[in-house]
Amino acid sequence: MPIIKVNNRDVHIQELNKGAAETVLLLHGMFSNLSVYYFNIAPILAEHFHVVMYDLKSHGLSERVLDGYDLENMTNDLCALMEALNLDKVHLAGYSFGGLIALKMAIRFPEKLKKLAIIEAPNPNDERAHGLIDDYSKDFLEHYVENFTDTTKVRMGKRQMERNHRMYEYLFHQTSIKKDMVAEKGFFSDPAILAVDKEILLLYGTYSDCLDTGKDLNEKIKDSKLIAVNGDHNIPIQEPALIGNTINTFFIN
Amino acid sequence: MDTVASTAKLNNDEIFDLMKQFITEVIGEEFVEEMDITPESSFTKDLEMDSIEIVSFSEKIKQHFGDQIDFTGWLSSMDLDQLIDLNLGTIINYIQECQ
Repeated sequence: MPIIKVNNRDVHIQELNKGAAETVLLLHGMFSNLSVYYFNIAPILAEHFHVVMYDLKSHGLSERVLDGYDLENMTNDLCALMEALNLDKVHLAGYSFGGLIALKMAIRFPEKLKKLAIIEAPNPNDERAHGLIDDYSKDFLEHYVENFTDTTKVRMGKRQMERNHRMYEYLFHQTSIKKDMVAEKGFFSDPAILAVDKEILLLYGTYSDCLDTGKDLNEKIKDSKLIAVNGDHNIPIQEPALIGNTINTFFIN
Repeated sequence: MDTVASTAKLNNDEIFDLMKQFITEVIGEEFVEEMDITPESSFTKDLEMDSIEIVSFSEKIKQHFGDQIDFTGWLSSMDLDQLIDLNLGTIINYIQECQ
């Protein structure tokens, strides 16, 4: 497993097509991991680009970390990773919370970015995300899996349920993730978003609860284009080839 | 880490044992002890492997067989239903064909 040290912490990365001239860096969402890209989207991008995926702290196979889940720290982590991999300037794609990290990067470090693809980034002011943390319990997870696995079609067994439960327990009850996410509530009101001067592709699901957020970002960011893809918040899993090809074309042209 | 451990051609039983070894390394011995792993075992239903564990498993195949086998490419050609139904026997056949 490619585990590298970044700021003295273990970070799980995966790279494809290392020799390519340009790099695409892929950010996954909260409570997910790099596998959301690994099987379909990354191989499409790797036909042309050097592709780097990594697991965010405490996610996937990266080291558990107690704090620093706010966008400032998450973008600091990303910069440190780019430095460790000798990457000066990259195309960046982020899904869900990863989309918010990508947007924060465009505000803080535009010189490190070429184009951006933001997939299903939610509005951090959405109470549902914070409510989810408040309501979390094992019963909740079981209910969630029972009712919402249709979109991904994979039914969780006992071992996975326990594994996921342990991850949620750790993140919700031991780390600063909740406090850090609540602190980002006003992110979309930050005037710096209006000043973002990058070419941005916004990809949202036609039936997604986040589609209005996509429209809002499209209005705010002058050089952005919104594409609605058939599906809900899970579009990278529902339409991986379409997402991969659309991002690939956008980054190439 | 990137070195290829073996390029010798393996028979079906040897591939099966190697896959069992990889699965044990990925999900842990304590879980494997409770399972009856056979060529019919499916990755998601029987072995309950989630996607990040399948990433680890794919990496082990990559490390062992090197360029001989494009396991990730093969997986990416499948749709979700095929991935969910994927069993060990299918993987063994694929590796056998590639060798």
